[in-house]
This record gives sequence, C-alpha cells and structure tokens, in this order.
Amino acid sequence: MNPQLIMDGLIAGAMIGLGAIGITLTYSILRFANFAHGEMISWGAYLALATSGLLGSLSGALLKPIGPFSFGWSLPLAVFAAVALTAALALFVDALLFGPLRKRRSAIIIMVMASFGASLALRSLLEFIFTSKPVYFSKALQIALPLGGGLRATPDQLLSLTIAALLVVAVHILLTHTAIGRSMRAVSENLQLAGVAGIDVRKVIRTVWVLGAGLACIAGVMAGLLVQIRPYMGFDLLLPLFAAAILGGIGSVPGAMLAGLIVGLAEALGVQLIGAEWRAAVAFMILVFVLLLRPQGLFGRAE
Amino acid sequence: MSNSQTVALSTQALVAGYDPDLPIVRGVDFSIRSGELVIVLGPNGAGKSTFVKAIAGLVPIHSGATILGDFDITAVPTHEKIRHGLAFVPQTENIFATMSIHDNLLLAANVLPKEKRSRRVADLYAMFPDLAARPSLRAGQLSGGQRQMLAVARALIVEPSVLILDEPSAGLSPKIVQEVFAHLKAINETGVTIILVEQNVKAALAIADRAAILVEGQLRHEGPAATLAEDPIVAELYLGARHAGKAVTS
Repeated sequence: MNPQLIMDGLIAGAMIGLGAIGITLTYSILRFANFAHGEMISWGAYLALATSGLLGSLSGALLKPIGPFSFGWSLPLAVFAAVALTAALALFVDALLFGPLRKRRSAIIIMVMASFGASLALRSLLEFIFTSKPVYFSKALQIALPLGGGLRATPDQLLSLTIAALLVVAVHILLTHTAIGRSMRAVSENLQLAGVAGIDVRKVIRTVWVLGAGLACIAGVMAGLLVQIRPYMGFDLLLPLFAAAILGGIGSVPGAMLAGLIVGLAEALGVQLIGAEWRAAVAFMILVFVLLLRPQGLFGRAE
Repeated sequence: MSNSQTVALSTQALVAGYDPDLPIVRGVDFSIRSGELVIVLGPNGAGKSTFVKAIAGLVPIHSGATILGDFDITAVPTHEKIRHGLAFVPQTENIFATMSIHDNLLLAANVLPKEKRSRRVADLYAMFPDLAARPSLRAGQLSGGQRQMLAVARALIVEPSVLILDEPSAGLSPKIVQEVFAHLKAINETGVTIILVEQNVKAALAIADRAAILVEGQLRHEGPAATLAEDPIVAELYLGARHAGKAVTS
C-alpha cells in the first residue's frame, strides 16, 4: 500500500471538513439539511477566480507566484472578496427563499426540498455564466516535496492543510469563547429559550449563513487550487460533506473536521484498494454505518 | 409587597393562542402593581401558561394589549422584551443544559452593557452560592432545584422590573419547593414584581400578595392571597366541583 494515500486523504479531508462545518452549523441551528451548501463551495471558487482574474488584469505583478506557491497575491486578495461575496449570496438566498419559509413555519421537508431547488438553480446559473469547462487558478506545475515516511506534498497542499487547521481552531474558539458563539450554541439547543434570554435569533441565523458560506468559499478555493474548478465541484462533494457532518455529530465543529479527515482518508484508501470509481461509495457506506450504529456521531449527544 | 400603587404590568382584553380561530386566552384584563407577587391559579387547561407565554411573546396575541409600566410591549419581539425589563422563566427546558452554569449566566448578561456584565454575574453568584461553587459544571448535571435556581438567576441578571415564572415547582420535592419559594419571596422583597403560575396552591398562596384565577381562558376571580386561601370559591374553581365548599388545604 502506498503511504501517499495518507497525504491525499488528509488534503481531501481538510476540504470536506471545512465544508462539513457549514453543514453541521446550518443543520443544528436552522434545523434542516441544506443541500445547497455544495453550491456555496462552487460559487466561492468561481467568485475567487473571477476576482483574482480582475486583480491580475489590473496589475500583472499580482499574478507573479509567491515563493514556492503556484499563485500570486491576486488569489489571497481575491479570497477576502470571494468570502464576502459568497456570504452575501447565502444571505440573499436566505432572504429570498428560506426566510419566508421559516416565517410560515414550514415543515423541515419543505426546507430541504427548497434547498434542492436552490442548489439546482445556483448550479445552473454558474454553468450559464462560466460554462462547464474546467478552469484553474494556476496552471503552474508544482513539485511535491518529500516529507519523510514515503509522503510527499506540494507547497499549495501544505498551505491548504495549515489554513484548514487554523480555521477549525478559530471557529471552535468563536463558538466556545465569544458572545455570538454562545448565542449560536443557545439557539442550537433551544430556540424559544434563546429568544426569552434576549438573543436575537435572526442575527444568529445571519451569522450562521455568513460563517458557513465563508468556510465553504475557502474550501472551494482549496479544491480549485489543488484539483480544478467546475460547476459540479460542490455538488460532487455533497455526499462526503453530509457523511462528515453526521459522523462528527451534528453541531460539533471539531467533530466535523475530524470526520472530514476520516472520510477523506477512507476515500483515499478505497481508491487505492478497490478503485477510483468506488470513491463516492465509501462516503455513502460511512453515512449508512454511522446512521445505523451511532446516529449521534462521534461528538454528538444521544437524543 | 404591595407597597406601591404603580402598575408594573397589565393586559387589556388579551386574546391569545396558537390558532386565531381557537384562542386559549379570551379577553383577559389583568394588572399587577410594582413590588407585588401575584399567583395565577386555575384548573388544568385554563390557559395559565398560555397567558404568561403570550405576555412573554412566545404565543401569538390576536387582540388586546400588554403594557409594561407605561410602554406597550404587545408587538415587541420576544428577545427585546427582556431589555424593557420583562423576564420570563419557562416551566421546562428553562436552562441551556449543554452549557456550563457560567456560560448560562454570561449568555443572559449579553443584553447588558459590557461594563456591567461581570458585576451582575458576580451579584448572582452571591445570591445563589450553590451556583458559584461549580461555575464550570454543565447545567444539565444540576438537580431539579438547582436548575430552577439557575433559570431564575438567568432571568434576574438583567435586573428585571417584572419576573414571570411558569410553574417553578413542577417536578420538585416539597422540601425543594419550599426553598425555591423562599428564594422567590426574597427576590420579591428586593422590589421585583413577580407573576407566578402555580399548581402548588398552598405553598404559592403562602408567599403571594394576591391571586388571580383563570378558568377557560378568562379571569374569573381575583383577590388577596390570604383571604383566597380560605375561600370556598377557590376550591370550586381551582380544584373542581367535587371539592366545592372546602377551603384550599393542599
């Protein structure tokens, strides 16, 4: 067995973990499975690509690769704009679709179906604007560096892993040590009591959309940087995202990240042992086993 | 403690319920003076909990008004009511069980200006030493009585003018009920106006200034707690027809 599968699994798992954090927060606070979350990953990647291209056209110096990485300053700068734009898109979809449904106290299944509709519309719009042809942040070739133990990774991959780890720590601190984090946990536990305790639930919901979409955007940029950018990139990640969110335990940020890494590693192992065509089946199997054996996940609480 | 004639909270022809075609609270005119402790009684299904939940903003109000002091809070969103001085302690699930005692209090203190938060949390720990002993304990691990104390502490942190409690004695042993009620009486004596929905009539009447009796969503009777405790009408309305003619003894 090639030990490189560990590195491949960790890198894929970091992207899955970041996306799964958004899923788990939406699920625990808004109480529905948001199938449009994958589209935030795709839109985040395309918005970063478009902004990076725009910045590059304004100043060619911004396209010059930074140190060992494959991209220039245009990309990190574009990521800030893309995070803000993806968050704005999530808020727009909420105001247009989910907000009115919440107001009518719609059943969960209606919210889920609405998220399917939103997913389809957002993906089609992306395909209409950017076409379905794969695109790249950079076509520069990177040499993977030996890390010891038969593992190799490119500087872009190592940077992505570091950023994912930092973001998980930051979100965990936000949830456990800040006022807005406490409010989010309170709304997740008891919506009515949160209102009675003076928490503006609408503000918490907006925060969840912004946070989830922001992380999805960064996951999308990572996926675009390490693989390629396609309108279906987020949709294809949806199954592993849900597998990770449920395996980690709904509402648990460290759980989502750890489960993302587990799903990524299991997928990489599956690819090496039984073939790449079975990659999606691995996430599906994990999802089924968790739901059957430990529905509360690794860090969730049994109902 | 009915030492003031100022009305702390009143409802005017309040109609409320989940279904506008089937209101549970049907035209209730109620008022409580500053510093009073009023117990709301009534048989099961009389609409007591719905009445106080409607005041707190948890049940839709279809007509009528709720006035806090001089301010109409009928349309004020639930989360804003606490800023106006109205605190509510629900009957069940009234604490955040997965969070620590300290986080429960910090969460409630968020509505205060930053500079006041730590002082108020310290004040509440002084008032409830049981909670101060283990601030990092997960609230879900507290006993029933301690949970009620935390729920009351959470509500008090904003120094409300009116505190509403929905059956704080539910599920507690008689000894703990006495402790909870003694705390409520002490809080009331600091000037906090209290509305208490209760099934534990004897214990509640012992600390209340006045009682109001709701029957079928309407205010049927009210009067001083001391006289109501001996009034056969309370037995008839509160305990049902088979107890008619007997004074309240339990």
